[in-house]
Amino acid sequence: MTLAENLFENLRLELRRGCLTLAVLVELRQEHYGYTLRKDLAECGLAIDESTLYPLLRRLESQGLLVSEWREEEKRNKRFYHLSSDGEQMLGQLLEEWNSINASINTIINRTL
Amino acid sequence: MELLDRYLQAVKKHLPSRRQDDIIAELRANMESQLEDKEAELGRPLTTGETEDWLRQMGAPMMVAARYQPQQYLIGPGLYPIYLYVLRVTMLLAIMAYAIVSAIVIVVTAPGEASVVAAVARTPGILITVAGWVTLAFAAIEFFSARFPEKFPPLTELSGPWSPSSLPPLENDGDTFGKPRSYAHAVAEVVFGFILLVWLLLVPHHPFLLLGPGAAYLTASPFELAPVWWTFFWWCVALNALQLVWRCINLLRGAWQHRSRTEDLAIKAIGLIPVGVVLLVKDSGYVLLKNPAIDGARYGATLESINKSIHLGFVVVCVVVLLQLAWEIGRPMYRGYLERAATR
Repeated sequence: MTLAENLFENLRLELRRGCLTLAVLVELRQEHYGYTLRKDLAECGLAIDESTLYPLLRRLESQGLLVSEWREEEKRNKRFYHLSSDGEQMLGQLLEEWNSINASINTIINRTL
Repeated sequence: MELLDRYLQAVKKHLPSRRQDDIIAELRANMESQLEDKEAELGRPLTTGETEDWLRQMGAPMMVAARYQPQQYLIGPGLYPIYLYVLRVTMLLAIMAYAIVSAIVIVVTAPGEASVVAAVARTPGILITVAGWVTLAFAAIEFFSARFPEKFPPLTELSGPWSPSSLPPLENDGDTFGKPRSYAHAVAEVVFGFILLVWLLLVPHHPFLLLGPGAAYLTASPFELAPVWWTFFWWCVALNALQLVWRCINLLRGAWQHRSRTEDLAIKAIGLIPVGVVLLVKDSGYVLLKNPAIDGARYGATLESINKSIHLGFVVVCVVVLLQLAWEIGRPMYRGYLERAATR
């Protein structure tokens, strides 16, 4: 891997990191367990590795943005996650921020072109 | 599916112990759902090759587990598991090398409490120095591999392609018992095992370490210990050395979390040998008179009483250990019998 490729990979990961968190929070307005959440995100064009998504869910739960419960579905115990009330509030703020950044970036791109 | 179980077992080994069961249960549920979907899509179970490809895509167990660890900045999350592994092995090797060298130096040159205390007091300094160098080396690797990736490829790439087939086989849970131990606990057992061994080796030269002020009685009294106690002593030394080596090997193999039932039974069984050696002494001659011709008439009865008491004590110890062994061998066999009967 060259320095430029390494740099791009690092920047891409940084760029995606926040977006993935936002996408997960939006998606978890409806209850999901890890695997179906990953499938839904991939169907929307946002593929995410299992080894990234599952620890992310844990981290968001430990931050109080998600709540989870173990429940049996199709004869298998699964851990279902959904947004907590704190998470809903945070999601509202983050979406506002996202829209603001998006609009600003578009403005900057259009102005410099 | 054995390969999936082996994969999860390998991931579990690198997870923080207090959360590992919960994380593995969740990972298993997600992976089994994914597997079901794949098999439903194909209309058949996955072949071994396809399963290996799928697991390879999931990532090496150590790397998957690393994502559940807190982020490190001095040493990045990609390098951290390797750093931790190298640190443990290096510190263990350092303490073993130091222990062996110190034991030889103490026994050969200046056996004494002061030498032991000085050797033990030097241990933290040595461990901190070793840990410092290892940490510094890894911090340098992290620093250079982040800035010059073309010259310093990640360590994970140097280890070659990872294959799910190289995962260790499933551990036989029937051979383990007790609560899982932490790494610190396992290392402490090795360190204290080493201190015990040094103490044991010093006792013949300094009986004070075992008897306290009563050691003076050994010189003043008309009695002396029979040669059988030397045989007993060296058996005890050998038993402790064996246990220490066994624990070190377990640490190096990464098998410190659970105590092995086989190992426990083997140590108890070997422990019966010195007891047997003492019990087989002719006419219970454990303690002798220094001058039988002079003191025989005066201390003869006391001597007989002492020897009888020692013999009785060792008989009791032997019976207790035998009963314990029989219980520990018989209990799993009885449980196995009950389980087999229940499934019939």
